[in-house]
Amino acid sequence: MATELLGFEIGATSAWLVWVLPFVAALIIPGIAKLSKFLPDNLSKHATGYIAVGFALMSTLSAASMIPIALEAGEIHHQIPWIESLGLNGGVLADPLSIIMANVVGWISFLIMIYSTGYMKGDKDITRFWFWMMFFIGSMQLIVMSDNLLQVFFGWEGVGLASYALISFWYRDKKKDHVGVEGRTVLGVLDYYSPTHAGMKAFIMTKVGDVMMIAGMLLIFVYAGTFGFKELLGDTEWAVTMASQGLLVPAFVLLFGGAMGKSAQFPLNEWLLEAMTGPTAVSALIHAATMVKAGVFLVARLGPLVFALGAAGILADQFFEIIAWVGAITALLLATQAMVNPEIKKVLAYSTGSQIGYMMMALGVAGLSYQYVDGYTAGFFHLISHAMFKASLFMAAGAILHTVGSRFMTDMGGLRKKMKKTYAFMWAAGLGLMGAPFITTGFWSKDAIFAAVYESGNEWAMPLFAIAVFTAAITAFYTMRMMGLVFFGNKSKHIQKMEEEGHHIHEAPLSMWIPYGILAVLTIGIGLVGLSAEEGLHHTFVDFLENSYGIHTEHIAIESSILPEFLQGLNPIALGSSLVAFAIGAGLGYIFYIGRWVDPVKVVNSNILFYSIHKLLLNRWYLNAMVYWCFVIAPLWLSRGVFRYFERTAIDYGMNDGFQKAIGWSAKVVQGTQTGVSQSYLFVFGAGLLFVVLILLI
Amino acid sequence: MLEITSTPLVIMAILGTVGVLLPIISIVRKEKGSNSFYAVIAFAALIVSIGYVGYQFLNENVAPAALFSEDVIVDDAFGGLFAIAMLIVALFTTVGSFNYMRKHNSPAVYYSLILLATIGMVLVAYSTDLVMLFVAWELMSIPTYVLVGFIKKNPSSNEAALKYFLFGALSSAIIIYGISLAYGLTGSTNIGEVIQGYSTLDPSLLPLALLSVGMFIAGFGFKMGLVPFHQWLPDTYEGAPAPITALLAAATKKAGFAATIRIIVLGMVVLHLDWTLALGVIAVMTMTIGNIAAIMQKNLTRMLAYSSIAHAGYILIGLAVAPHSSLGLQGSLYHILNHAVMKGMAFIAIAGIVTTLAVTHIDKLQGLGRRMPITALALVISLFALAGVPPLAGFWSKLMLFGSALDAGSTLWWAPWLAIAGVLNSALSLAYYGWITRKMYFEGETQKRVKEPKAIIAVMITSMIFLIGFGIYPEPIMQFVEFATPVISSDLMP
Repeated sequence: MATELLGFEIGATSAWLVWVLPFVAALIIPGIAKLSKFLPDNLSKHATGYIAVGFALMSTLSAASMIPIALEAGEIHHQIPWIESLGLNGGVLADPLSIIMANVVGWISFLIMIYSTGYMKGDKDITRFWFWMMFFIGSMQLIVMSDNLLQVFFGWEGVGLASYALISFWYRDKKKDHVGVEGRTVLGVLDYYSPTHAGMKAFIMTKVGDVMMIAGMLLIFVYAGTFGFKELLGDTEWAVTMASQGLLVPAFVLLFGGAMGKSAQFPLNEWLLEAMTGPTAVSALIHAATMVKAGVFLVARLGPLVFALGAAGILADQFFEIIAWVGAITALLLATQAMVNPEIKKVLAYSTGSQIGYMMMALGVAGLSYQYVDGYTAGFFHLISHAMFKASLFMAAGAILHTVGSRFMTDMGGLRKKMKKTYAFMWAAGLGLMGAPFITTGFWSKDAIFAAVYESGNEWAMPLFAIAVFTAAITAFYTMRMMGLVFFGNKSKHIQKMEEEGHHIHEAPLSMWIPYGILAVLTIGIGLVGLSAEEGLHHTFVDFLENSYGIHTEHIAIESSILPEFLQGLNPIALGSSLVAFAIGAGLGYIFYIGRWVDPVKVVNSNILFYSIHKLLLNRWYLNAMVYWCFVIAPLWLSRGVFRYFERTAIDYGMNDGFQKAIGWSAKVVQGTQTGVSQSYLFVFGAGLLFVVLILLI
Repeated sequence: MLEITSTPLVIMAILGTVGVLLPIISIVRKEKGSNSFYAVIAFAALIVSIGYVGYQFLNENVAPAALFSEDVIVDDAFGGLFAIAMLIVALFTTVGSFNYMRKHNSPAVYYSLILLATIGMVLVAYSTDLVMLFVAWELMSIPTYVLVGFIKKNPSSNEAALKYFLFGALSSAIIIYGISLAYGLTGSTNIGEVIQGYSTLDPSLLPLALLSVGMFIAGFGFKMGLVPFHQWLPDTYEGAPAPITALLAAATKKAGFAATIRIIVLGMVVLHLDWTLALGVIAVMTMTIGNIAAIMQKNLTRMLAYSSIAHAGYILIGLAVAPHSSLGLQGSLYHILNHAVMKGMAFIAIAGIVTTLAVTHIDKLQGLGRRMPITALALVISLFALAGVPPLAGFWSKLMLFGSALDAGSTLWWAPWLAIAGVLNSALSLAYYGWITRKMYFEGETQKRVKEPKAIIAVMITSMIFLIGFGIYPEPIMQFVEFATPVISSDLMP
């Protein structure tokens, strides 16, 4: 790259622009909003939106301009001095990982921004919305492009802040903006959340992870003296020292703690459900497609480093084991709850956490395998495919909410004739989530994960594999349930009432259905050539890991198997399990919710076992209630107790009053000696002289 | 031999001439009323003196912090620092008296006495001979006895003067006793030679040497207001004319410290005894009793009188740890300089309040923030500076003092406790400083603004600039203090 711009190489400039441009937009949007008063009417309403969409596009084009570098597994690393007294540099690192991620984030953000112009139309706080959306995109791209942990942390906190601000966007806490069923309690904890409460909950819960992350970062910095990814890899003396003191694995696990918080992994998963109080565009962008992937990205960033250290003899396998198990538990836990929840956005939220669990599992298993690249590619491929279909599903769900005016699926039903486009696109994206065989990206990426887990040859391979397959069946089931409840059956009472009142159930406007339409089509389109897409990604990552981390991948000659020609190279057992899981899950879902041959309510009430399971799932495994009891209610009790029995007594009466009295009393004593009579003064003077001489003589 | 242009001699010449001439002029002019004429002359004399000290420093004619000389006085930076502090306070007093003396007779004598007392203080700081020091001490003390009792018809002023004189006379006697012991033991009155003589003293005579040191502590401790030699102080400060209180609290006190550092601290280093404990104990007693007594006072002057006792305690921390930490004396000198401005300013503010509203009771201060906004603001700033609230100048000197105590902790196990006592006492002092602030700003009904004396406003603004300016940018003062601080080590001995 000989050409230079502003003293930077072109590639480096693009890498900087990717995250700087959205911040610039965020900065100017409030100003534009003020100035737009002077514009003609039709323009002034949309000025901020145009700016936001325009900058999102420019940022994304910058990311796209780097794709050639990714394809040839190249790398741009550009640094500028930042905090010179500490020897810290700011920088961008554009390698295949960050470039692909930046494109996923960029393009999906761009589509969601277009969707938002329709979805948020007429909201009077629209300027605030655009500001935070651009702030979010900038922060996210900062995480992606950073070449060091400290800079990542700045972006990390930036997305956290934007997430908080956008979850609580409708801060007036109107009833329709809540999530949960009004009045419903679990173990005495209200399962009904206002936007402001939800924002706070998300902020505090993710902060738990952030604190762990900064602790891990600083721990590594103390030993390595750098935050830079390249620098950490360059001289591994620090890792040897840390490993000898038993601190290496704890430091990495602390970093993973940050990822757990941000990606809503067990046990820091409960915030994601309430995060659905934000506008649906926000749910799609932040809580499905991008921000929650930040944790996955961080693991993808650190994983090769840890694996390379392991190859050099500094083992940290526990790190990968923890990731794999946390991922597996989250995948199962959240998928089960998605089966029973009545709210469409919450079903999708559960599904998001669950799918991210898959990605974590793949990235964890990768580090435990002989061929690191297999699990790595699988996890990342699933990230891409999930970003597409989940963003599409969320946006489509938003369109339905928009029309129906209720978040409950029981208030929908029979919509397939009214919203034909949405119906079709949602099927396409939903099939991706279910992993419909051979035609969807979701199928290929999930199959790759199954294969990676199965072939890892690790002691945990079988239990993890079983969980993965079981979860896949559940996923297919709840997706079918969602589709059935929303689009099939009869119109709900709510819709009938709406129609009686003269409301018309209509298709979403153009600016809304185009974005989720594109993503839905892509889900199927890329799915059709999914195997070659995966192989391309695999190939890129093989080179990337080889060039950047020195992780060598051996080419194994493909043994011919019983599979037909076009599936050669796949693991037959993984493939078979995947197909079976899909068939069972989708089949049951069809029977209950689309065909409606059996009434699910009757089944649940038919025996005590089903009933208990249903209740357990609906009550979120009682995890949320426990979190509240342990970390909110109990500390509040403690605090009140301390206030009443310690603060009010020991501190107020004992210390404050006692101290005051003691001082007053001593002051009286001192004043008592101040008689005003010279003779007594002279006596004290003389005694003092004697005292001083005595001290000196002793 | 000292040159004729050396600082102490020139100051003596200027202030002495003006001081003697003022009463003569008033006799010649045969009128008693207008005080502005005399005030301006005294003011000019003081300004010229300060200018000369500064000039000598800038031209590097001043020896850096030498402490000994064969002469009776020496032109060193140590004395220079004290001279500046005292001259500034004398200047504040002169300006602050301007309105006060309108209501009283014989202004010429009044200003003349201030100038003569100032000569005494300055010479104490420059003295290197015990007899010279004693003469200067008396030159400082006697005019102040008269000044305290200046308002003849006022009984409390008379009582104050009498008590002050009684204890002054006693302490002078004690100092003379100490000097005679020192002379008897070493055959010299030159401080350098006395200390050298102490260092080679026959061990059987040590108790006598210590007795002389004890006498000095008590004698100078009277002026410094150390507990238990402090009891005259609140009575005297309360009864004295308000501007004179400023002179006593901010300037004559410092003369005591100058003498103490020259004689006791250095003398005791030579005696190689665990004498620091004595100063440490006195420091803690002084600051604690000063603050505790201050907290219940209803009279503003009396409250600040106790506060100045407490501050003597803080300054004494630096002296107590001086042999163990190089920061000790530096902190003391720094705080002496700051305290001169802070306390001088506070008492002049009170003088302003007394002259305009004739109140000193704290309850009567309600609403002062509106009635006399500039004076009230200046008073608050000086009080906060006294408490050591950053970023005011007092913060840095307290930091250095307490830091020196911590620094000395490696060789002196109890030294950190001095810092702890100091910090706790500073917190305690905020209680009554804050109380005054509350009275002035948050209580009382809105009252009309009254006219504030212009001369006092000038003092207030100057010192506010000093406290805030050198609080934010303390570097120049710190360098000056470092230059003026003698390094205590054996090779400093003559």
